[in-house]
Amino acid sequence: MRTLAMTAGAIALALLVTAGLILLAGKSPVTAYGALLRGAFGSLDRVAFALNKSTPYILAGVGVALCFRAKVINIGGEGQIAVGGIAASAVILLAPAGSPPVLMLALAMLAGAAGGAVWAILAAWVFIKRNVHEVLCTLLLNFVGVLLVSEVLRAPLGEDGAGFPQSPLFPRAGWLPKLIPGTDLHIGILFAVAAAVLGHVLLWRTTFGFRLRVMGASRPAAAYVGVSTARATFAVMALAGALAGLAGGIEVSGVHNRLIEGFSHGFGFNAVAVALIAGLNPLAVLPAGLFLGFLEAGALAMQREVGVPSSLVYVIEGLMMVFVLCAVGLNARNRRV
Amino acid sequence: MLDMRGIEKSYGAVKANRGIDLAVADGAIVGLLGENGSGKSTLMKVLFGIVAADAGTITFKGRALRHHGPRAAIAAGLGMIHQHFTLVDAMSVTENIMLAWDRAGWWLRPKDIAREIRSTSAAFGLDIDPDARVADLPHGQRQRVEIMKAILAGAELLILDEPTSNLSPPEVAGLLDVMRRLKAKGHSIIFISHKLDEVLEICDEVVVLRDGAVTGRGPTRGATKASLAHMMVGRDVTATVARADITPGATVLRVSALSRHDAAGLARLDDVSFSLRAGEILAVAGVDGNGQTDLAEVLAGLLPATGGGIDLGGIDITHAAVKERLAAGLAYIPVDRATTSLVPAMTVADNLALREFDQPPFSQGGVLRKAGFRARALERMGRFDIRAAGPQSPARTLSGGNQQKIVLAREIGRGPKVLVAFQPTWGLDPGATRFVIEQILALRAAGGAVLYLSAALDEVLMLGDRIAVMHGGRLSEPKPRAAVDVTEIGLLMAGIDPGARAA
Repeated sequence: MRTLAMTAGAIALALLVTAGLILLAGKSPVTAYGALLRGAFGSLDRVAFALNKSTPYILAGVGVALCFRAKVINIGGEGQIAVGGIAASAVILLAPAGSPPVLMLALAMLAGAAGGAVWAILAAWVFIKRNVHEVLCTLLLNFVGVLLVSEVLRAPLGEDGAGFPQSPLFPRAGWLPKLIPGTDLHIGILFAVAAAVLGHVLLWRTTFGFRLRVMGASRPAAAYVGVSTARATFAVMALAGALAGLAGGIEVSGVHNRLIEGFSHGFGFNAVAVALIAGLNPLAVLPAGLFLGFLEAGALAMQREVGVPSSLVYVIEGLMMVFVLCAVGLNARNRRV
Repeated sequence: MLDMRGIEKSYGAVKANRGIDLAVADGAIVGLLGENGSGKSTLMKVLFGIVAADAGTITFKGRALRHHGPRAAIAAGLGMIHQHFTLVDAMSVTENIMLAWDRAGWWLRPKDIAREIRSTSAAFGLDIDPDARVADLPHGQRQRVEIMKAILAGAELLILDEPTSNLSPPEVAGLLDVMRRLKAKGHSIIFISHKLDEVLEICDEVVVLRDGAVTGRGPTRGATKASLAHMMVGRDVTATVARADITPGATVLRVSALSRHDAAGLARLDDVSFSLRAGEILAVAGVDGNGQTDLAEVLAGLLPATGGGIDLGGIDITHAAVKERLAAGLAYIPVDRATTSLVPAMTVADNLALREFDQPPFSQGGVLRKAGFRARALERMGRFDIRAAGPQSPARTLSGGNQQKIVLAREIGRGPKVLVAFQPTWGLDPGATRFVIEQILALRAAGGAVLYLSAALDEVLMLGDRIAVMHGGRLSEPKPRAAVDVTEIGLLMAGIDPGARAA
């Protein structure tokens, strides 16, 4: 309850500081914030847009929360999303024409999860076997994963004659179904909700979650208990990678309906921010991810309608996160494990 | 030199200091005696400016010390040698001394400082090599580096907080000699200790605290150990615990030629052999850092053995995983509660399940059973008198004694065949210490075998059916308690083999 009140206070504070910046840019904060609210909640379409934006943050955020619980600092979400997107696109584009849509999509999502998992396991392998710090291996594999998207778009999956590095449009059967017909809202948000709930159950109600918690609290204690930290690290990284890869598959199939260069840009780091705002509780990743998704949707509308500089959008997002993290962080010391 | 008057300090409802007066004359050594929790540490923290007193005045060298922090205290001429050193292991002695020493300046001149260290070292008989790496120095030498730091920083009054607790007898004699030299050069010392004979030997005066108040003070001349002990605890401390007469049963643990070489090839554990029978305690004395950690952790499966064998009840567990050792009936109480034997951020119930969470009643098929956690927690909390608000309280909210009861309840409550206990009373007050000792004796009475490793000689002598000493990674031949000679143990602890000397 106290955390909630402090979070609200932090958001108010961030809005206040941003209001000053909007004034400096020569616009009225009242008009700007009105546009922000309308942009986030103004119509069913806007809400659909925001929910779609939240989906990858929540999926990848749950994985990051589980990793961070075990003190495995996985910041490789962006690369895992990218590789997941490639794998899902490959299944959709290379499937024989006329394949049943359900089967094709199921395979595409599985391929996305598998791609992300492989990418994460690669980082875990370098971390465990070669003793390279996990921040370094996950971070560096981000660059490789993102550039891999450009590379496959250059040759095997690219669209001939397009001015932009992108794949051909997916066949209709490869589009993620819409949750509400007539809007852009696809069923990805259901996966996100399921991931948050299952992540919660996994962390607090299973022996696997208990292992992660002990290991995250203290490596010597984990050794004393007889937990194999190497095995648990591989498992939690694979899980987080699969969730991020699934997010990548959902993004290409549900939002863009094709693989495009840079589609995963910034997702991985936003997932880290979301996980931290959620205090590493998988269930709380849901509201935290929604918060960021709606904030982004609103800020983009504000830029469009009021004409505030686009950099100000990122300033608002950044300030919000810093203020909220300060509010949440005050209680992190006493977090339950 | 120092005059503290009417010092009062409360932590919440607890009155740690209730109107304490303490005076130290120029060139005097004052002993400060008292049990854990009697208010010694609080008084010294107030003096050093780590906490602020609620009431009272401090006059040091004729000037009032008020609202001061540790930096101001050091600048005024106070020096504190903590029990846990504040040295950087990877740095040399010179570098450590330059750290946070204003007079070293911002342009470091290691050669000049090394020269100053050598001359000061000679003047006080500290025998310090300025170029040595701290990591390579034994405990006693590190302590001297701390003393050197304080002297060079201009300390005229030194506070030594239980300086002898981890020293071997010859190192203690050396330290007392250094203290005499400090005194001869006009330094004053506050000597905090539990060890009455040391206090009687070195101190001019003694001040005794109990429950935050002074219960006795006076010159050491004419005082006796008995009179001091009585002032300290106000009750008879020599009362021994009840030891049931037990005939040990069959051999349950057989350790043969066990050794461990570390990554650098150094022998941390050197050809250690012993056996342990049901209902028997083998107590091992020794100064910290002589291989006790290695022995305990190799037995518990946390460090690999590089040679020899461990047989527990007919099962070879030399290279077994931790889980297999638990299944074979091994329990382990490590010394470190903060990060190893307990997860302070987890609940009491979680901590009681810590080593068996993947088995019934705590879980089934990978799913945790909350009811199992709760039922076991309530039963153990009752049986081992664990004082907590409830099973869901985080372990960190409990006192040190109650935290250790969680560990005891988990490890002893399982009814193990063999318990390895490594300094299980470390940092506990006398009441909690007694509880631990009684529980270990109860396990013995129930037919458990115990390997008890401790640097506290009195505990070793009280508990052991057989007693051995560790030094330099080697274990001396265990002797029955009736045949034990304390002088001989002292020599063994210092690394001198009495048998060899006689020969």
